[in-house]
Amino acid sequence: MTAALELRDIVKRFGGAAVVNGVSLAIAPGEVLALVGENGAGKSTLVNIACGLYRPDRGAVRAFGQPLPEGDTRAAIDAGIGVVHQHFMLVGPLRVWENVVLGKEPRRLGLIDRARARREVAEAAARSGLSLDVDAPVESIGVAQQQRVEIVKQLWRGARVLILDEPTAVLSPREADELVATVRKLAAGGRGILFISHKLREVMAVADRVAVIRRGKLVLETPARETNAGALAEAVVGARVAGEVLAELGAAAPVTASRKPQATSPLLTATDLHCENDRGRPALRGFSFHVGAGEILGLAGVDGNGQAELAEVLTGLRSARGTLRLGGAEGWARSPGAAREAGVVHMPEDRHRRALCLPMTVEENLALGHHAGAVLVDHAARRRTAGELIASFDIRPPDPLARAGDLSGGNQQKLVAARELRGGRPPRLVVAVQPTRGLDLGAAHRVHEALRAARDAGAAVLVASLDLDELRLLADRILVIYDGRPAGEAAPDASDEELGRLLLGQGVARA
Amino acid sequence: MRKRLFAAGAFWSAALAIAASLLVCLFAILATGKNPLVGYGYMIEGALGGLRPLGETGIKGAVLILTGLSVAVAFSVGLFNIGAEGQLIWGALAAAVVGRAVDLPGPLLVPLALLSAAAAGALWGLVPGLLKVSRGVHEVISTILLNWVAIHLVHGWLISGPLAARTGGEHISVAGTAPILAAAHLPRLLPDGRLDVGLPIALALALGVWAFFRHTSAGFEWRAVGSGAEAARAAGIPVGRRVCEAMAVAGALAGLAGGLIILGTEHRYPGVFRTGYGFDGIAVALVGGGAAPGVALAGLFFGAVRAGATRLQLVGIHPSFAELIQGLTVLLVAAPRLFAPLLARLRGAP
Amino acid sequence: MSALWAALAAVLDFAPPLLLAALGGVLSERAGVVNIGLEGMMRIGAFAAVTGAYYTGSAWAGIAFGALGGAAAAAVHALLSLRYRADQVVSGIALNLVALGLITFLLESVFGSAGVSPPVATLPRDRFGHSPLAYAALLAPLAMHFWLARTAAGLRVRAVGEHPRAAATLGVRVLPLRAACVLGSGALAGLGGAALSVGILGQFDSRMPAGAGFMALAAMVFGKWTPLGAGAAALFFAFADALQRQLSFSLRAADLHLEGVFLALPYALTLLVLAFGIGRTRAPAADGVPYEPEGR
Repeated sequence: MTAALELRDIVKRFGGAAVVNGVSLAIAPGEVLALVGENGAGKSTLVNIACGLYRPDRGAVRAFGQPLPEGDTRAAIDAGIGVVHQHFMLVGPLRVWENVVLGKEPRRLGLIDRARARREVAEAAARSGLSLDVDAPVESIGVAQQQRVEIVKQLWRGARVLILDEPTAVLSPREADELVATVRKLAAGGRGILFISHKLREVMAVADRVAVIRRGKLVLETPARETNAGALAEAVVGARVAGEVLAELGAAAPVTASRKPQATSPLLTATDLHCENDRGRPALRGFSFHVGAGEILGLAGVDGNGQAELAEVLTGLRSARGTLRLGGAEGWARSPGAAREAGVVHMPEDRHRRALCLPMTVEENLALGHHAGAVLVDHAARRRTAGELIASFDIRPPDPLARAGDLSGGNQQKLVAARELRGGRPPRLVVAVQPTRGLDLGAAHRVHEALRAARDAGAAVLVASLDLDELRLLADRILVIYDGRPAGEAAPDASDEELGRLLLGQGVARA
Repeated sequence: MRKRLFAAGAFWSAALAIAASLLVCLFAILATGKNPLVGYGYMIEGALGGLRPLGETGIKGAVLILTGLSVAVAFSVGLFNIGAEGQLIWGALAAAVVGRAVDLPGPLLVPLALLSAAAAGALWGLVPGLLKVSRGVHEVISTILLNWVAIHLVHGWLISGPLAARTGGEHISVAGTAPILAAAHLPRLLPDGRLDVGLPIALALALGVWAFFRHTSAGFEWRAVGSGAEAARAAGIPVGRRVCEAMAVAGALAGLAGGLIILGTEHRYPGVFRTGYGFDGIAVALVGGGAAPGVALAGLFFGAVRAGATRLQLVGIHPSFAELIQGLTVLLVAAPRLFAPLLARLRGAP
Repeated sequence: MSALWAALAAVLDFAPPLLLAALGGVLSERAGVVNIGLEGMMRIGAFAAVTGAYYTGSAWAGIAFGALGGAAAAAVHALLSLRYRADQVVSGIALNLVALGLITFLLESVFGSAGVSPPVATLPRDRFGHSPLAYAALLAPLAMHFWLARTAAGLRVRAVGEHPRAAATLGVRVLPLRAACVLGSGALAGLGGAALSVGILGQFDSRMPAGAGFMALAAMVFGKWTPLGAGAAALFFAFADALQRQLSFSLRAADLHLEGVFLALPYALTLLVLAFGIGRTRAPAADGVPYEPEGR
């Protein structure tokens, strides 16, 4: 039987590194293939190649036996490939049916044939067992409904292959179950489905076959019934040990000192935190934890489970209900200014928006947040500090007057790390989110050294990261967050299976 | 994108824009059958050809420098101050009133009148700042509306009604407010011509603004707000408060410009007061790249253009030609990418 | 009050320029391009209309020239904003500055006067004293509303102004569509200026449109960027303006030298409404954001 969608030996490099390194996949009509992997493993790139947004460096894509021209989204659409992206491509104020027919509007006498459009959209939805209010403005319906609109959008255009990229990331457990049922029904209707997700429970419920991708390669491909969550978790996270990671860093990096397992008194205690995200949905649902002075707590969790909001709460950028104590005192997180006063520093996830004033110079950005107190600017001191930080963090180009916006992403991150960790008074609490994202190993090492130095100086350090290897390297304890709640704690040398299960929603009682 | 206007190449961009604009205007004059070179010659003479012309350039340049600084200061926190015209008008009125009503010796009266002008302008500038921060009203629209409110209230009511000059009995002349006291006149600097202390004041303020942004923590915070409000907020800077402060200062500068006009040359608030200096301030700020030194240079340049343009009538061209040169320059400065290939070639890049 | 009735009757005299320009603003901004240059486009349109009417002897030809003039000005704005990704606010302001100087210059060169142009033919009036253009302007908001809501082009314009990338993934060509809307916006503003110069007054006055372009912007914001809303707001402002004139006249404000207070009222009222009357308004989500086809 001809595969609905076939990817053959796909290779894609970005700047020298192979993000996808020889991947072959085939999806039969009527089959659900789940693709599982960590962030950065190469899933999104594969999706973009399949739908024609990217051109592969090597390899080919075929739909129903016909080769697809590379980099041609129109051809992919015409061949019946439909993608439901993780970040919805929906126009908020427009109605559901308008979003679905946009670009291919049915016409009558020069005007849009509303009756026909609404009818066709309603029919397409009903055929797939989805209920939709076709007249509702898209921005007023819930996220699960919006996702249905995205699916119907593709179905109405005659998609015979559906690619769903992290579809349950934004859904509640019940909505996720409904989606799983929908997907199975769509497959039963003869479509080939590529279901990309990190949530193992749904993967096991929806898939006929499962493929695991890690660092650009397929490491496992198996019928779903012949595997289980544990095996998948291990394949996703990888059987790695701290030593192996260290070896990768190379001889240039000194071996990290053995961790101090002593009990430290809690400096930061959070009890029963509740808050919403920007869309109004619950982000933290009763999150409690503590970090001791002189301790690094690693916060693990797949993107979107509440880490970003927690970091904002701790740095005064978001309000939450519950108790937050730093050194016994409350009210320190009421505003960013107050948090800074209390000795909190922040290495945010979105450095462009949150951490850097791009048009200003390196030197000036290094002074942000540490500039208060003096009426006049001490340029000599600023230049000195900048020189020191540039040298010790190896910021390139080593020019204090370079525009921050002109630096590469990695150097910008080093700038942020330098400023927060060593730019002013020694911090009491460090909140770092994805501190080494996009950094090469040497740069990442420097940031890690600075984080450890902050810990050794007595700060409480919270590092939220999607990279488990990083957390194993840095953290004294690892706390896993899932769906806004603590999912469990682990030691840095916990087994991959254990960490993987916690990460992927296992071991959590269903609400 | 606005930030990119103020990058290092801004000077050459501005210079090229000016040159291009002058070139286009040259052809425009040609098209109307007049001799452009003669016209330009008269302009240069009118701006730079002697103490009197230089004086005119100086006084017009001073006002433009101040309104340019007003717009530039607002830029620094990321706002567009189109309201310099209205702020200038209130400042001018305040100076005219204080200059008449307060009987003090010159060295006290002049500063008092100027300060009143600045204060009036500051209040009028604070309003759009507050509206933006608390109600989200876009400052472009609010400042434009406030301009019209100012123009109508002052011209259509205050100076033709309660504050109008009264000559003998109840007869109201249409010549604006009563003349200010002699003590309120700005001292002149040159024996010939009208150059007064306004220019040194404006230049000193330009220096002050430059120093403020370069050497003070407050200036640093303002610039941070303008170049990355989110990052500034995360760094603990009270963004809303800084925005309001900046708008008040911007208003003060424009108000002061109005004060200079009244105390320096008009000596009362005239019945017909059409200046456009406030709007020109926008052009000055944009061409000057939003930075005080550039604003000073651009202000002097456009002041020269204004001063020289009066002579264009000798070749039959209306003095409003100056506005055309200005407008074209701004248009060309607005698209730095237009000049990017040319600039690169000039610099010898591959 | 007789002033009220007089004002109502006068609305249709003053409203068309404001209506047309406000609709121009709506068209451009709904597609995602900020257009502060309405004042300049109106000015250019007003002058082009008078020039056209003068040389052809036909008022309608003048009106057509007015629309063309506005569109030509808008083409500059489109070029700078879309092709060169200039800051759209700066581009609009620059256009206003250029229009100010250029038209005064042309007024001098073409008509030899710095104040007013010679009188030209005006549009025919019916027994109520209104020209066909006035009625057309009154219907225009309905037409644009219908167009935006019911045609495929209107749907795509709405999409492009809110989430251009979503539209692009479905094959809509974002930049050409935006450019077309900016040109249309200029044509409408030019028509508004023409309505003022040829339609109502029969000549060009060097101060035209004397802030009407900015009032149109305020009407657009007041009307929440919808054609019907902007139309209603424009009528409201025209009414406020007419009322202010009537009251000023009947209360003999000129004698009391209070004209300025009345003249300022519409603007102050607009500001108050914008600040407190309509809550935080939301422009189209992609308004003012340059679209980068290959960007993220």
